[in-house]
Amino acid sequence: MSTRSRAEQAEDHTRSVDQMRKGTTALAILKLLADGEEPLHGYQIIRQLEARAGGQFHFNEGLIYPRLHQMEHEGLLHSAWEGQPGGRRRKVYRLTDEGRDRLAAELRQWRAFSLGMDAVLGLTEGV
Amino acid sequence: MTIDDVLAQVRARLDLEADREHELLEEIRGHLQDAVDAAMARGLDPEAALAEAASRFGIVATTGELRRAHAGWGALDGVLAAAVPVVLALLFRWLIFAPDGTATGWREALNRPAFWVIAIISLLAPLARFRQRRAVLAVWALFWGLSLATALGGAVRW
Repeated sequence: MSTRSRAEQAEDHTRSVDQMRKGTTALAILKLLADGEEPLHGYQIIRQLEARAGGQFHFNEGLIYPRLHQMEHEGLLHSAWEGQPGGRRRKVYRLTDEGRDRLAAELRQWRAFSLGMDAVLGLTEGV
Repeated sequence: MTIDDVLAQVRARLDLEADREHELLEEIRGHLQDAVDAAMARGLDPEAALAEAASRFGIVATTGELRRAHAGWGALDGVLAAAVPVVLALLFRWLIFAPDGTATGWREALNRPAFWVIAIISLLAPLARFRQRRAVLAVWALFWGLSLATALGGAVRW
Protein backbone atom coordinates (compact mmCIF):
# COMPACT_ATOMS: atom_id res chain seq x y z
CA MET A 1 0.00 0.00 0.00
CA SER A 2 1.40 3.38 -0.95
CA THR A 3 1.65 5.99 1.76
CA ARG A 4 2.95 8.66 -0.56
CA SER A 5 0.85 11.77 -0.81
CA ARG A 6 -0.49 13.07 -4.08
CA ALA A 7 1.81 16.09 -3.75
CA GLU A 8 4.85 13.81 -3.42
CA GLN A 9 3.79 11.81 -6.46
CA ALA A 10 3.27 15.01 -8.43
CA GLU A 11 6.71 16.19 -7.35
CA ASP A 12 8.24 12.90 -8.50
CA HIS A 13 6.47 13.25 -11.83
CA THR A 14 7.76 16.79 -12.26
CA ARG A 15 11.30 15.70 -11.38
CA SER A 16 11.12 12.80 -13.82
CA VAL A 17 9.84 14.97 -16.67
CA ASP A 18 12.50 17.56 -15.81
CA GLN A 19 15.27 14.96 -16.03
CA MET A 20 14.05 13.79 -19.43
CA ARG A 21 13.76 17.38 -20.66
CA LYS A 22 17.27 18.36 -19.51
CA GLY A 23 18.83 15.76 -21.76
CA THR A 24 16.94 17.02 -24.77
CA THR A 25 17.05 20.80 -24.35
CA ALA A 26 19.87 21.15 -26.86
CA LEU A 27 17.92 19.10 -29.38
CA ALA A 28 14.84 21.27 -28.81
CA ILE A 29 16.87 24.46 -29.32
CA LEU A 30 18.45 23.13 -32.51
CA LYS A 31 15.05 22.14 -33.90
CA LEU A 32 13.44 25.44 -32.95
CA LEU A 33 16.17 27.44 -34.69
CA ALA A 34 16.10 25.15 -37.70
CA ASP A 35 12.35 25.60 -38.10
CA GLY A 36 12.47 29.40 -37.91
CA GLU A 37 13.65 31.72 -40.60
CA GLU A 38 14.94 34.43 -38.29
CA PRO A 39 17.62 34.20 -35.60
CA LEU A 40 16.20 34.34 -32.08
CA HIS A 41 17.41 35.77 -28.79
CA GLY A 42 17.32 33.86 -25.51
CA TYR A 43 13.99 35.18 -24.27
CA GLN A 44 12.30 34.35 -27.58
CA ILE A 45 13.76 30.85 -27.50
CA ILE A 46 12.38 30.23 -24.00
CA ARG A 47 8.92 31.55 -24.86
CA GLN A 48 8.72 29.57 -28.11
CA LEU A 49 9.92 26.36 -26.47
CA GLU A 50 7.30 26.76 -23.73
CA ALA A 51 4.63 27.46 -26.35
CA ARG A 52 5.62 24.31 -28.23
CA ALA A 53 5.60 22.30 -25.01
CA GLY A 54 2.00 23.36 -24.39
CA GLY A 55 2.57 23.76 -20.67
CA GLN A 56 4.07 20.26 -20.25
CA PHE A 57 7.57 21.55 -19.52
CA HIS A 58 8.71 24.42 -17.36
CA PHE A 59 12.04 25.91 -18.42
CA ASN A 60 14.24 27.56 -15.82
CA GLU A 61 14.68 30.72 -17.83
CA GLY A 62 18.22 31.70 -16.92
CA LEU A 63 19.60 28.22 -17.51
CA ILE A 64 18.98 28.53 -21.24
CA TYR A 65 21.94 30.94 -21.49
CA PRO A 66 24.77 28.64 -20.35
CA ARG A 67 23.31 26.03 -22.70
CA LEU A 68 23.27 28.49 -25.62
CA HIS A 69 26.83 29.58 -24.86
CA GLN A 70 28.01 26.00 -24.69
CA MET A 71 26.35 25.21 -28.01
CA GLU A 72 27.93 28.29 -29.55
CA HIS A 73 31.31 27.25 -28.15
CA GLU A 74 30.85 23.85 -29.81
CA GLY A 75 30.17 25.57 -33.12
CA LEU A 76 26.51 24.55 -33.31
CA LEU A 77 25.20 28.12 -33.06
CA HIS A 78 26.40 31.50 -34.22
CA SER A 79 25.49 34.66 -32.34
CA ALA A 80 25.34 38.32 -33.27
CA TRP A 81 24.23 41.48 -31.51
CA GLU A 82 21.21 43.37 -32.82
CA GLY A 83 20.22 46.89 -31.84
CA GLN A 84 22.10 50.10 -31.24
CA PRO A 85 24.50 50.79 -28.39
CA GLY A 86 22.62 52.76 -25.76
CA GLY A 87 19.31 51.28 -26.87
CA ARG A 88 17.96 47.83 -26.39
CA ARG A 89 20.42 45.28 -27.66
CA ARG A 90 19.75 41.59 -28.15
CA LYS A 91 22.15 38.76 -28.77
CA VAL A 92 20.49 36.55 -31.35
CA TYR A 93 21.40 33.00 -32.25
CA ARG A 94 21.15 31.11 -35.50
CA LEU A 95 22.06 27.59 -36.48
CA THR A 96 25.40 26.86 -38.17
CA ASP A 97 25.95 24.15 -40.76
CA GLU A 98 27.55 22.11 -38.01
CA GLY A 99 24.41 22.65 -35.94
CA ARG A 100 22.22 21.38 -38.78
CA ASP A 101 24.36 18.28 -39.08
CA ARG A 102 24.13 17.71 -35.33
CA LEU A 103 20.36 18.21 -35.44
CA ALA A 104 19.98 15.61 -38.18
CA ALA A 105 22.11 13.13 -36.23
CA GLU A 106 20.31 13.75 -32.94
CA LEU A 107 16.89 13.45 -34.58
CA ARG A 108 17.89 10.07 -35.99
CA GLN A 109 19.03 8.98 -32.53
CA TRP A 110 15.87 10.32 -30.95
CA ARG A 111 13.61 8.44 -33.39
CA ALA A 112 15.53 5.22 -32.84
CA PHE A 113 15.38 5.68 -29.06
CA SER A 114 11.69 6.56 -29.16
CA LEU A 115 10.82 3.55 -31.31
CA GLY A 116 12.88 1.31 -29.08
CA MET A 117 11.20 2.56 -25.91
CA ASP A 118 7.77 2.24 -27.48
CA ALA A 119 8.59 -1.37 -28.28
CA VAL A 120 9.90 -2.01 -24.77
CA LEU A 121 6.81 -0.45 -23.22
CA GLY A 122 4.46 -2.28 -25.57
CA LEU A 123 3.12 0.92 -27.08
CA THR A 124 3.76 0.08 -30.71
CA GLU A 125 0.37 -1.59 -31.23
CA GLY A 126 -1.54 1.43 -30.03
CA VAL A 127 -2.80 2.22 -26.57
CA MET B 1 14.98 47.38 -7.00
CA THR B 2 16.07 48.03 -10.59
CA ILE B 3 17.44 45.87 -13.38
CA ASP B 4 20.89 47.25 -12.55
CA ASP B 5 20.46 45.96 -8.98
CA VAL B 6 19.64 42.49 -10.31
CA LEU B 7 22.63 42.63 -12.65
CA ALA B 8 24.82 43.65 -9.72
CA GLN B 9 23.72 40.46 -7.92
CA VAL B 10 24.59 38.43 -11.01
CA ARG B 11 27.96 40.18 -11.38
CA ALA B 12 28.80 39.49 -7.74
CA ARG B 13 28.46 35.76 -8.40
CA LEU B 14 30.36 35.67 -11.70
CA ASP B 15 34.12 35.51 -11.87
CA LEU B 16 34.86 35.87 -15.56
CA GLU B 17 37.03 38.00 -17.79
CA ALA B 18 35.80 41.59 -18.02
CA ASP B 19 34.80 41.45 -21.70
CA ARG B 20 32.99 38.14 -21.37
CA GLU B 21 31.26 39.29 -18.18
CA HIS B 22 30.12 42.54 -19.81
CA GLU B 23 28.65 40.66 -22.76
CA LEU B 24 26.87 38.21 -20.47
CA LEU B 25 25.39 41.00 -18.38
CA GLU B 26 24.15 42.80 -21.50
CA GLU B 27 22.45 39.63 -22.67
CA ILE B 28 20.82 39.15 -19.26
CA ARG B 29 19.75 42.80 -19.25
CA GLY B 30 17.89 42.24 -22.51
CA HIS B 31 16.23 39.15 -21.10
CA LEU B 32 15.09 40.96 -17.94
CA GLN B 33 13.77 43.92 -19.96
CA ASP B 34 11.65 41.59 -22.08
CA ALA B 35 10.45 39.64 -19.06
CA VAL B 36 9.50 42.82 -17.20
CA ASP B 37 7.61 44.12 -20.25
CA ALA B 38 5.69 40.85 -20.51
CA ALA B 39 4.81 40.85 -16.82
CA MET B 40 3.65 44.49 -16.95
CA ALA B 41 1.52 43.65 -19.98
CA ARG B 42 -0.20 41.10 -17.73
CA GLY B 43 -1.01 43.86 -15.27
CA LEU B 44 1.82 43.71 -12.75
CA ASP B 45 3.32 46.95 -11.49
CA PRO B 46 6.99 47.59 -12.43
CA GLU B 47 8.41 46.45 -9.09
CA ALA B 48 6.40 43.22 -9.00
CA ALA B 49 7.21 42.62 -12.66
CA LEU B 50 10.95 42.90 -12.00
CA ALA B 51 10.71 40.69 -8.91
CA GLU B 52 8.94 38.03 -10.98
CA ALA B 53 11.44 38.35 -13.83
CA ALA B 54 14.39 37.98 -11.46
CA SER B 55 12.78 35.02 -9.73
CA ARG B 56 12.03 33.19 -12.98
CA PHE B 57 15.52 33.93 -14.24
CA GLY B 58 17.01 32.16 -11.22
CA ILE B 59 20.11 34.17 -10.33
CA VAL B 60 21.86 31.63 -8.11
CA ALA B 61 21.32 28.57 -10.32
CA THR B 62 22.06 30.43 -13.55
CA THR B 63 25.25 32.13 -12.40
CA GLY B 64 26.56 28.80 -11.12
CA GLU B 65 25.92 27.20 -14.50
CA LEU B 66 27.41 30.20 -16.33
CA ARG B 67 30.58 29.98 -14.25
CA ARG B 68 30.87 26.27 -15.01
CA ALA B 69 30.07 26.72 -18.70
CA HIS B 70 32.66 29.46 -19.17
CA ALA B 71 35.33 28.07 -16.86
CA GLY B 72 38.63 27.72 -18.63
CA TRP B 73 37.58 29.29 -21.92
CA GLY B 74 39.77 32.32 -21.33
CA ALA B 75 42.70 30.22 -20.21
CA LEU B 76 42.42 27.96 -23.26
CA ASP B 77 42.27 30.95 -25.55
CA GLY B 78 45.37 32.27 -23.84
CA VAL B 79 47.22 29.00 -24.28
CA LEU B 80 46.29 28.95 -27.95
CA ALA B 81 47.20 32.56 -28.50
CA ALA B 82 50.64 31.97 -27.02
CA ALA B 83 51.44 28.41 -28.02
CA VAL B 84 50.38 28.21 -31.66
CA PRO B 85 52.47 31.14 -32.94
CA VAL B 86 55.44 29.99 -30.86
CA VAL B 87 55.29 26.45 -32.17
CA LEU B 88 54.98 27.63 -35.74
CA ALA B 89 57.77 30.14 -35.24
CA LEU B 90 60.03 27.35 -33.98
CA LEU B 91 59.19 25.22 -37.01
CA PHE B 92 59.67 28.18 -39.32
CA ARG B 93 63.03 28.96 -37.81
CA TRP B 94 64.07 25.35 -38.03
CA LEU B 95 63.24 25.33 -41.75
CA ILE B 96 65.20 28.52 -42.41
CA PHE B 97 68.28 27.77 -40.38
CA ALA B 98 70.35 24.67 -40.21
CA PRO B 99 70.34 22.85 -36.85
CA ASP B 100 73.63 24.54 -35.97
CA GLY B 101 72.06 27.98 -36.27
CA THR B 102 73.62 28.97 -39.56
CA ALA B 103 71.60 30.03 -42.60
CA THR B 104 73.30 27.64 -44.95
CA GLY B 105 70.00 25.95 -45.74
CA TRP B 106 68.22 29.16 -46.78
CA ARG B 107 68.25 28.66 -50.54
CA GLU B 108 67.32 25.04 -50.14
CA ALA B 109 64.46 25.98 -47.80
CA LEU B 110 62.93 28.28 -50.41
CA ASN B 111 62.50 25.31 -52.70
CA ARG B 112 60.65 23.25 -50.12
CA PRO B 113 56.83 23.28 -50.21
CA ALA B 114 56.84 22.67 -46.45
CA PHE B 115 58.63 25.98 -45.97
CA TRP B 116 55.89 27.93 -47.69
CA VAL B 117 53.12 25.97 -45.97
CA ILE B 118 54.59 26.66 -42.53
CA ALA B 119 55.24 30.29 -43.43
CA ILE B 120 51.64 30.86 -44.52
CA ILE B 121 50.20 28.99 -41.53
CA SER B 122 52.46 31.00 -39.22
CA LEU B 123 51.01 34.21 -40.59
CA LEU B 124 47.43 32.94 -40.37
CA ALA B 125 47.80 31.34 -36.93
CA PRO B 126 46.63 34.39 -34.97
CA LEU B 127 43.33 34.18 -36.88
CA ALA B 128 42.72 30.55 -35.98
CA ARG B 129 40.16 29.64 -33.37
CA PHE B 130 40.21 26.16 -31.95
CA ARG B 131 37.14 24.96 -30.05
CA GLN B 132 38.30 21.50 -29.16
CA ARG B 133 40.05 21.14 -25.85
CA ARG B 134 41.91 18.07 -27.11
CA ALA B 135 43.50 20.12 -29.89
CA VAL B 136 44.55 22.78 -27.42
CA LEU B 137 46.14 20.22 -25.13
CA ALA B 138 47.95 18.65 -28.06
CA VAL B 139 49.39 22.03 -29.05
CA TRP B 140 50.29 22.73 -25.44
CA ALA B 141 52.13 19.40 -25.15
CA LEU B 142 53.95 20.03 -28.44
CA PHE B 143 55.03 23.48 -27.30
CA TRP B 144 56.47 22.25 -24.03
CA GLY B 145 58.00 19.22 -25.67
CA LEU B 146 59.90 21.44 -28.08
CA SER B 147 60.87 23.84 -25.31
CA LEU B 148 62.23 21.07 -23.11
CA ALA B 149 64.06 19.52 -26.03
CA THR B 150 65.65 22.88 -26.69
CA ALA B 151 66.62 23.40 -23.07
CA LEU B 152 67.88 19.89 -22.35
CA GLY B 153 69.28 18.80 -25.69
CA GLY B 154 72.76 20.24 -25.86
CA ALA B 155 73.21 19.18 -29.48
CA VAL B 156 70.13 21.05 -30.63
CA ARG B 157 70.69 24.76 -31.19
CA TRP B 158 67.82 26.97 -32.24
